[in-house]
Amino acid sequence: MTPLALAWRTARRYRARAVLAVIGVAVIGALNFDMLMLSRGLVLSFADLLNATNYNIRISGNSGLPLSRSPIDNAGTLMKQVAALPQIASVAVMRTASAALVEPSRRPQGVELVGSSDPSGLGVWRLLRGSNLDTASDGTAAQTAVVSQTLAERFSLAPGSTIHVRAGISGTMSALPPISLRIVGVGDFPFEPEESLVVATSMAGFARAHGGVVDDRAEFMFAASRPNVGVDAAVDAIDKLRPDIRAFSNEQLVANFARNAFTYFRQISVVLSTTTAVFSFLLVTTLLTVSVNQRLGEVAALRALGIRRRHIAATLLWEAVLLVGIGGTLALPLGQLLASILDGILRRMPGLPAGLHFFAFEPQSLVLHVLVLSATAIVAAAYPTWLAVRLPIAQTLRQEVVS
Amino acid sequence: MTIVEACRLTRVFPMSAGPVVAVRDASLRVDRGDYIAIGGPSGCGKSTLLHLLGCVDAPTSGNVMFEGRDVGTLTDSGRGRIRLTRIGFVFQRFFLLPMLTAWENVELPQSEAGASRAERRERTRELLEYVELSDRAHHLPSQLSGGEMQRVAVARALANRPALLLADEPTGELDEETGERIAALLDRVHADGTAIVLVTHNAALANRAKTRLSMRSGVLHT
Repeated sequence: MTPLALAWRTARRYRARAVLAVIGVAVIGALNFDMLMLSRGLVLSFADLLNATNYNIRISGNSGLPLSRSPIDNAGTLMKQVAALPQIASVAVMRTASAALVEPSRRPQGVELVGSSDPSGLGVWRLLRGSNLDTASDGTAAQTAVVSQTLAERFSLAPGSTIHVRAGISGTMSALPPISLRIVGVGDFPFEPEESLVVATSMAGFARAHGGVVDDRAEFMFAASRPNVGVDAAVDAIDKLRPDIRAFSNEQLVANFARNAFTYFRQISVVLSTTTAVFSFLLVTTLLTVSVNQRLGEVAALRALGIRRRHIAATLLWEAVLLVGIGGTLALPLGQLLASILDGILRRMPGLPAGLHFFAFEPQSLVLHVLVLSATAIVAAAYPTWLAVRLPIAQTLRQEVVS
Repeated sequence: MTIVEACRLTRVFPMSAGPVVAVRDASLRVDRGDYIAIGGPSGCGKSTLLHLLGCVDAPTSGNVMFEGRDVGTLTDSGRGRIRLTRIGFVFQRFFLLPMLTAWENVELPQSEAGASRAERRERTRELLEYVELSDRAHHLPSQLSGGEMQRVAVARALANRPALLLADEPTGELDEETGERIAALLDRVHADGTAIVLVTHNAALANRAKTRLSMRSGVLHT
């Protein structure tokens, strides 16, 4: 009989102990798996958000953090300069302003007005139904708009509806006349907080909402490098255009955030996953040690019959591997379920982009989970195995008879 | 032909209250065809002597020669190999693996010794027939009586055709009638050519042996 078969039969024989160990490892393993998903979840999710757009370069004002919406002055000129660079395939700008939805017989509702030079939305929205902005719109016709799902639900809007939006003016009551916008699509705005009320329109619509007078600034500028040119070369070329702007590739942004903003989560997850691994180790070691202590007579008899130490050690190791392996496998769906619950709780934090998640699965997390649990099984089996293979045969047999 | 020869064995156990001499200057030779019973009161050193003869313990002084080899010079795996292939053990408390059936318990030492599947199947069937437990082959030890468990333990001890069977109080946990049946089984094992050394309190069992020895305070009396 192979050590694996013997280990399996032992686990089945001592079913209560085995079930206890498997449940314990599954719960602890689920926490461990969650910590691994948490350690890089925000970074991965952030990278997914950025990469979901068609642009791989972000341009911002030189002051403030890359995504702090520090406005870029002379944005029109800069856009032309960037577009003229041989490394650049396309460029787009986005503007944001506060506004109010003014509908007859309803109280004005504050919304965020987004102006985009890219009718497909720069990846700032993901269309759920309808179509993207009308590229043929001009200043005279009703401008088109894509609205957020929450806004559509709250005001019973659908593609084809018309809304009236009055742009706000910072620090004062706005007396601007509202403009009509024809809704062509409803979408998700993953960079905006959940439940945001957003109206996105073209740059012409944005200017029209401001009475046709809008300063030459931009909150965001996006660029895409040509496929045959490295993104770093494109970033360098943009950086050299003007000293008051900074360009970042998506990778640089993700790396910066991983280094600065998300270190906290990584540290927490390292501490918690180490702790859970220790708990897992203690649980399995305790159960196996108790089990070996209960079976000392059997082990001594096996040794007296000539069963090799290697065979006994391999059986105990397999027993640990089986308990941790089954528990660890059950930990995956359990961890996924727990992660989705925790993610839901954490994402209730105000101001968090809707597309950002705290827990993200990646193959690396699975590999680490397997490695941590494998190491736990081996280390957990070490002490009981040592006990079993080193026990003095004659003395143990004598004690078993006396007891 | 001599199977095992113990020469002036002494076994001292160091204890916190002072050393205890379990076996003192004991010499014994077991030849093929021998059937030796060692009697004596509890704690007189019978089991310790059996463990020394069975290569599971090492003497403090003296030496054990097993089939011409000095056991003291062998490695742990060398002694393990002797126990696996040349010696069979029967314990007072049976020590069958509770998760394995009677069949699997008998098969285990053969598997460890490298016997093929076909050889194991044939030998296990033959042994379970020998101990009259063919019909209980697939029962777990928990489903067997004490006497049946001890018969399985005897079958397991004979699995690799040992030259010597060592039995430590083989009827110690059994009632008189069941003990008698085990004694008869040991007689048969001996008659079929396996040398036996057993230690027992049971005078009836001891009287069946060809040679009866006794121990007092670690000293072996012939």
